[in-house]
Amino acid sequence: MSDDTIAKEWPPVRGDYTVVDPRSRICVATLASDMEAFPDACMVGSCKTENLGIEKIIINTISNSNIRYILVCGTESRGHLSGNTLLAIHHNGIDEQGRIIGSDGAIPFIENIPAKAIERFRQQVELIDRRGLVETGKIQELINEYRSKGNPFPEPPMVIETRKKKQKIEREITGGDMMIAPGILMDSASGVIFAET
Amino acid sequence: MFTFQKVQEVVNIANIKIGGQPGEYPTVLAGTIFYNKHSIVSDPDKGIFDKLAAEKLINRQQELSDETGNPCMVHIYAESGDAAMRYLDFVSNATDAPLLIDSTESRVRMAAASYVSEIGLADKTIYNSLNMAVTEEEIEALTLSDMDSAIILGFNAMDSSLGGRMELLEDGGKVLPHGLLETADECGIKKKLIDPSITPMGNGAGVALRMTIAAKAKWGHPVGSGIHNAPSAWNWLRNIGKEDKLIYKICDIASTGIQQMAAGDFILYGPIENARYTFPMAAMADIMISESVADMGVEPVEGHPIWKLV
Repeated sequence: MSDDTIAKEWPPVRGDYTVVDPRSRICVATLASDMEAFPDACMVGSCKTENLGIEKIIINTISNSNIRYILVCGTESRGHLSGNTLLAIHHNGIDEQGRIIGSDGAIPFIENIPAKAIERFRQQVELIDRRGLVETGKIQELINEYRSKGNPFPEPPMVIETRKKKQKIEREITGGDMMIAPGILMDSASGVIFAET
Repeated sequence: MFTFQKVQEVVNIANIKIGGQPGEYPTVLAGTIFYNKHSIVSDPDKGIFDKLAAEKLINRQQELSDETGNPCMVHIYAESGDAAMRYLDFVSNATDAPLLIDSTESRVRMAAASYVSEIGLADKTIYNSLNMAVTEEEIEALTLSDMDSAIILGFNAMDSSLGGRMELLEDGGKVLPHGLLETADECGIKKKLIDPSITPMGNGAGVALRMTIAAKAKWGHPVGSGIHNAPSAWNWLRNIGKEDKLIYKICDIASTGIQQMAAGDFILYGPIENARYTFPMAAMADIMISESVADMGVEPVEGHPIWKLV
C-alpha cells in the first residue's frame, strides 16, 4: 500500500487492531474494551498499556497522513490509564527522561520513538475524548461525522524504524560464574560458554 | 544445564522455599485469581466473587502441588483496596500457601500492605511489585508495613535491554536515583524475588530469560516471572487460538518450561484454572533439570518431583 499520504508498508507495527479504510480520517482507540471493527474507520483497536501501546498508536498514526482524528473511547485501562496517557502525550509531550508529562498511568514512559515523532503526532491529529463510551451506535455516528472531515496532513507520512539496530557488543569474558560441566564455564554477563584453559 | 558460582539464596515464605541452584528446589508456581475479567468475580471494585468456585480453584492448585511436589502460591489481583482486603481475608482462610498481592495501582498495593500488617498476614504475603514507578509515598507505606517479601520488577520503560534492566535494579540507571534493590532494603524487604519483567514478544520478551541467568549470577536472589504474558500478548497466537483453543493453551503452558530452562525459581503461570496443565509440565521440567546437574553436586531437596513422580 503506497501513495503520497500512506507509507509503503502501512501499518508498520503489529498490534491488536483491524485496518478498515486506510483513507479514512478517523481511527478508534477502544482502550481496554474489545470491539469489532467499525465500517468507515481507518483502523480500530484496543490500547491497554501506557507505554508500548501508546508507542504503537503513534507509529501507526504518523505513517498515514490521512489520519486526522483519533476517537478515544471504551473502558479506561485500570491502573495503566492508557486513555489518560494518550491524552497527556498529545497535550503535553514528554520530558527529557521520556516520561509522558501529566500522565497518571503506572509507568508512562516512551522508549522506542524519537521526540520528533511525538511532535508530529501532536500536530497531525486531534483527539476526541470519549472515554467510557462503549455504545457502538454512538461510536459509529462519530466515525460517520469525522471519516471525511478535512484534508490529509500536509506532510508526507513519517516512518519510524522500530526494530532496533543490532549492536555488536564486544564480549569481554571476565570469568566463568556458571559451571556447565567440569572445565566448561559460562560467563553470565556476556553469555559466552567456554572451556577452562 | 549449569550451576552458578555465586551462592544461591533460598528464601522461606510461609514454609515455601524459593531459590537455589537449578535442579535443587522445585519451581514454585503461582496461579492468579480474581484477575481482570475472571468469571468468578462479579464486582471487581467491591471484591464480590463466587466463594465456592474460588475455593475449588485454590484447593485444586493445592492438590496438584501436593501431588507433583511443586510448591504453590496464590497470586491475588485486586482493582481496589476494598477488594484486596476481601480477597486477602478469603484466600488466607482457604490456604496456608504464600499470597502475592498485585495491582496495577500503587494505592491498592499500599492499602493491602497496610491491611496484611494489621491482621498479621504480612509474613505470608509478597508485595507485587516494587517497580520503576515507585514513589516516596509507596516507599513510606511499605516501610511502615510489616511486609518483608517483595517482587522487584526489572521493567525499564526507558531501556528494555539487558543492561537497562540490570541497571534499574543495581543503581537506578537513568530512571531512579537509587537501584530498586537498595530501595527494597530501605523498605525493609529482606526476601527479594527478582522479576526481569516479561514484555511482549517483539519488545524484548526473550531478554527476561538472559536476565534470569544474569541476575542469579550477580546477586543470587531468587528470580522468576509471569512468562505466560508473552504468549497472551501475542496477537497472532490469539487469532489462531480462536480457531483452535488447544494451540493457544499449548503455547501458554509451555512458556512456563521456557522460564524453568533459564533457571527460573518461581513462575506466575497465569489463570489459576491452568493449574491442571501447568503443574505436570513444570514437574517434568524440574525432573529433567535435576537429572542434568546430578553429577555437579546439586542434590534435589526432599519432596522434589524427582522423588515423587519417577
